Amino acid sequence: MAGPSTTPVRVLPRTPSLGRTYVRSLLAPRDGDALDLPRRSVEVRDVRADAGRLAAFARLCGFPLRAELPLPFPHLIGFGLQVDLLVREPFPFRLLGLVHVRQEFEQQRPLGADERLDVRVRATGLRPHRRGATVDLVTEVRPAGQDGEPVWRGLSRYLARGVTFPGTPAPAPAPLPAPEGPGALWRLPADLGRRFAGVSGDVNPLHLSALTAKALGFRRALAHGVWTASHSLAALGGPPPAAARFAVEFAAPVLLPSTVVHVVAERELAGRPGWSTAVRSRDGSRLHLTGRLEAL
Amino acid sequence: MSVPADPAAAPVPEGRLPRRAAILGGNRTPFARAGGRYAEASAQDLLVAAIDGLVARFGLAGEQLGEVVAGAVLKHSRDLNLTREAVLSTALSPRTPTYDVAQACGTGLEAAVLLANKIALGQVESGIAGGTDSASDAPIAVDDGLRRVLLALQRARTPQQRLAALSRFRPRQVVPATPRVTEPRTGLSMGEHAARTALQWHVSREDQDLLALESHRHLAEAYERGFFDDLLTPYLGLRRDDNLRPDTSLEKLAKLRPVFGRDEEGPATMTAGNSTPLTDGAAVVLLASDAWAAEHRLDVLAHLVDAQTAAVDHVRAGEGLLTAPVFAVPELLRRNGWTFDDLDLVEIHEAFASTVLATTAAWEDEEFCRTRLGLDGALGTIDRKKLNVVGSSLATGHPFAATGARILASTAKLLAERGGGRALISICAAGGQGIAALVEAP
Repeated sequence: MAGPSTTPVRVLPRTPSLGRTYVRSLLAPRDGDALDLPRRSVEVRDVRADAGRLAAFARLCGFPLRAELPLPFPHLIGFGLQVDLLVREPFPFRLLGLVHVRQEFEQQRPLGADERLDVRVRATGLRPHRRGATVDLVTEVRPAGQDGEPVWRGLSRYLARGVTFPGTPAPAPAPLPAPEGPGALWRLPADLGRRFAGVSGDVNPLHLSALTAKALGFRRALAHGVWTASHSLAALGGPPPAAARFAVEFAAPVLLPSTVVHVVAERELAGRPGWSTAVRSRDGSRLHLTGRLEAL
Repeated sequence: MSVPADPAAAPVPEGRLPRRAAILGGNRTPFARAGGRYAEASAQDLLVAAIDGLVARFGLAGEQLGEVVAGAVLKHSRDLNLTREAVLSTALSPRTPTYDVAQACGTGLEAAVLLANKIALGQVESGIAGGTDSASDAPIAVDDGLRRVLLALQRARTPQQRLAALSRFRPRQVVPATPRVTEPRTGLSMGEHAARTALQWHVSREDQDLLALESHRHLAEAYERGFFDDLLTPYLGLRRDDNLRPDTSLEKLAKLRPVFGRDEEGPATMTAGNSTPLTDGAAVVLLASDAWAAEHRLDVLAHLVDAQTAAVDHVRAGEGLLTAPVFAVPELLRRNGWTFDDLDLVEIHEAFASTVLATTAAWEDEEFCRTRLGLDGALGTIDRKKLNVVGSSLATGHPFAATGARILASTAKLLAERGGGRALISICAAGGQGIAALVEAP
């Protein structure tokens, strides 16, 4: 059986700079003939959260600056590797235009803000979708130098629209329950995408300005899904359970600037504490995000 | 219709509260010199970290406490509900009520006294008290002239009024106002005030340096023997107070140049070594009734017996800005029938080494005690072996509002370690104020 230890790994000396990788993605488009995923994973070793970036992320998303990393934070370290995998490995889809449809953050225990970590990203789960095909980029985080089960795991599911992939699309999984009722108003400023790009390094033009978003077919800039997900989690208040999973599904994108509504409901799952969240447009007509936090 | 007070109503017996609040433990972040390890953390982040650690140590996740009381000296105007917002980010039940208090450097201890009094009266059974401060993340306000222009602009209804408001704008108003540690009514910094008091009480440079050295030695020893293992939670990579200099010496301290009192007529003796630095950090204590502690199977370290505040006239009478505890302590002891001989531990907050030494000198001065404190003779001498035995603010640093809770938690633990005894805590504060408290092992 092919476990993580038998998968070939390309180790990067440091987390890649995203600006350059994006340019590369624009200049070298994929031919899209081969629908195979890269077999290699990419990894950075012995890294830790940059203190300034961590503080900026916490401030922007509404987390207090704790001794432990906010549950979504390792995704930011892994995101550079995701982009590197998409651009430098033989990946079947172009980076620009991929739609983030689902994100999971999962920890077996909270990671220390100054803990040294190995971060690895691999691609898996290429499957047909009614609007194209989806692929899962899985980020695994382990204490530096340790093998075994990851202590943190992230799953980012991206949709490549218009791709034809052999097979019948699996029936859509049961959507996460979206709580109803009155919620909190979030007034999102026009520069939110730029500010999150400054923290995350994700300089995807979709989030930077109305002009760059228009070039990609949107009326205005979009809020970054990882920001919306992180802010939803931060809005739950206290720290998540020590072992926890936060899963979100992205529906309609949030255009900037805008005012949206965030709803939370406490919902036990199999006797364990859990919370459901949803982000909707102010008039309630559009669902932007549903999320579920559960203790493991 | 009002009812006249009944002159025959029984007075409250002095020094007797209905019941005493128990101190069950405490937690703090390590303290960091300003602009250092915690440069990116807000006062609220620090308070969350201190409460988080306390919640973890005492198994309080999901617990609805009677109340949480805390404050900060350097406070942003947006932080009007600082403690409430902090609690909502902790694992405590969001149904735990809170309030903010402010008494300059007395904030942490005053918060504990307020909570202890509510526990004594049976109004709450449990709670957390403390304080937090970040000198790194200090608020910066717009120039007051600009603020007035903006407010007038907001009120203006006609173009003429708007123009009139704008005409009061001056380019220099764009420079923001940063908070200063100067007394509004004297224009002097706290250090300059303390230097005057040091001269008045003939406090020598050598004695100040020696007290600073002992503070560092005591704190280093306390860390070595693990005293702080259950009083502190590491934060952002810091495990100990980074102001601590275990290897400092009298020679090193003697080399430092005086920074305060250089304009006074007399020797300038106060240096960066015998004054506290600007510091970031937060500290909290867990207080409860004995019954709540027993229900939760938690040990009582000590009880908060009584407390007293005082203030001096530093503006018109020229009394030492930081000498209010000189007046609070004798009244507190008298009311409870205690003397210095009854004390096993004495904690005097080391705002400056000279503050501690001027305070003890005043209590040893027969004439001062007779004329100013109304005593028959000198209040007495503090045995240096009982003073600040695990170090104090000169070594740990002094995030203003956090200091009271730091001292209270350490004192309660010291009494529990001894298996009995009585302690006095004395803290001076800006504005010519001070607060003192008595603590006793159960």
